[in-house]
Amino acid sequence: MKRDRQVHTLAGPYAMDAISAPDRARFERHLAGCEECSREIASLREATARLATATAVPPPPALKTRVMAAAAATRQRPPVPEPEAAVRGWRARAWPGRGRLAVAAGAVAVAAVAAAAVVFGVSNGSVQDQLSRAQASSQQIAAVLTARDATMMTGAVKGGGTVTIVMSHARRELVFTAADLHALPASRGYELWLIGPGGDRAVTMLPPVHHGMTGPVVAAGLRPGDHLALTAEPAGGPPRPTGRPTGPMMLDVIL
Amino acid sequence: MTAINDPGPDGAEPGVSTGDLAARLGLVARGDAGAFDAVYDQVAASVFGIVRRVVRDPAQSEEVTQEVLLEVWRNAAKFDPGRGSATAWVMTLAHRRAIDRVRSVQKESERERRTAAADIPFDEVAEAVESSLERERVRRCLGSLTELQRESVTLAYYGGYTYGQVASLLGVPAGTIKTRMRDALIRLRDCLGVAQ
Repeated sequence: MKRDRQVHTLAGPYAMDAISAPDRARFERHLAGCEECSREIASLREATARLATATAVPPPPALKTRVMAAAAATRQRPPVPEPEAAVRGWRARAWPGRGRLAVAAGAVAVAAVAAAAVVFGVSNGSVQDQLSRAQASSQQIAAVLTARDATMMTGAVKGGGTVTIVMSHARRELVFTAADLHALPASRGYELWLIGPGGDRAVTMLPPVHHGMTGPVVAAGLRPGDHLALTAEPAGGPPRPTGRPTGPMMLDVIL
Repeated sequence: MTAINDPGPDGAEPGVSTGDLAARLGLVARGDAGAFDAVYDQVAASVFGIVRRVVRDPAQSEEVTQEVLLEVWRNAAKFDPGRGSATAWVMTLAHRRAIDRVRSVQKESERERRTAAADIPFDEVAEAVESSLERERVRRCLGSLTELQRESVTLAYYGGYTYGQVASLLGVPAGTIKTRMRDALIRLRDCLGVAQ
């Protein structure tokens, strides 16, 4: 502790989350090797918890209904200690056994599957697995998945593969994942687009396929009348001057 | 680490009251939906309270509260009674989530609005809830701090500012603020009679 006085003085800010992300990471490295510091943080957090409980105010009763419904559709983490990195670094890790962490995207989304399936086909369990991990790893994604108006759609991609989309009109955002996309030649990559009356916008090139899974990625700023399109574009080239899709359309979903 | 669950000498009950929250979290970790229902009843008001205090916007506060409670459901197995009370575990999750939400909102108007909110003395935004004795005790303990300590804690914990931002707002060196924050929490801890 003495040899690292500078870091140790962050105990107060850390216990109140009054700390930037880099400082938080630095302090957590320090905590890992300082048992006394961990005890101090734990005791300071008993104090901050009282600052929290003193603000108690009952939430709207409808919230309980939503939370209970979402919990019923959410599988729990197994009681095995998991390093934090397993959550943060999920993108780079092999998927653990399929189905173990299966989570639907919340009760509302699950309910919507039945309706969406008529148009887009039956949802794919492994894609739901992927969505579940997304929920654990990214708050933006979690916010879409737990949005009150979240709806889920699944659809087939031309050439092979299945996509799952969870969309919140209220947030004007959607989460996109794909499973078993047909491998493209190295010179091309999949690119996601929003195409609509307000103009075409490139969302992102999809990240590399990992164990058959792609994404999740978030598309924000949805506008009325938008379509979501997936095209095969030249990979790694200069930005397209037109800002419009040039490659073959692999998927077109009316949002 | 059980003192937080102790009603205390003057009979005041914490917002999250006795009722074996830790034991219920153990049941939740094994998938007991009934226990989760009880946990919800025990912690929802406190979670919603602190989230709303930090986030301000009611609709967003409900969203964050739902995220926090789902995280409790999902990660109940991660709660380790040897490392602090169940209340502290839940409130740490709640506060962290609320902070992450406001930091992701970059709009200047939002920050200004929250500055104004953070300037309101603690007791003036207090609302009548069951745990008014607990609220009174916290208010009294905040009152026992020096002005700089109290402002640092209020701006940081309720206002959602980093210690660097608090230092700028108060015109005090960042090093001083860091130290004051720690001193303040130690004093609060002792005044509130929580463990160690």
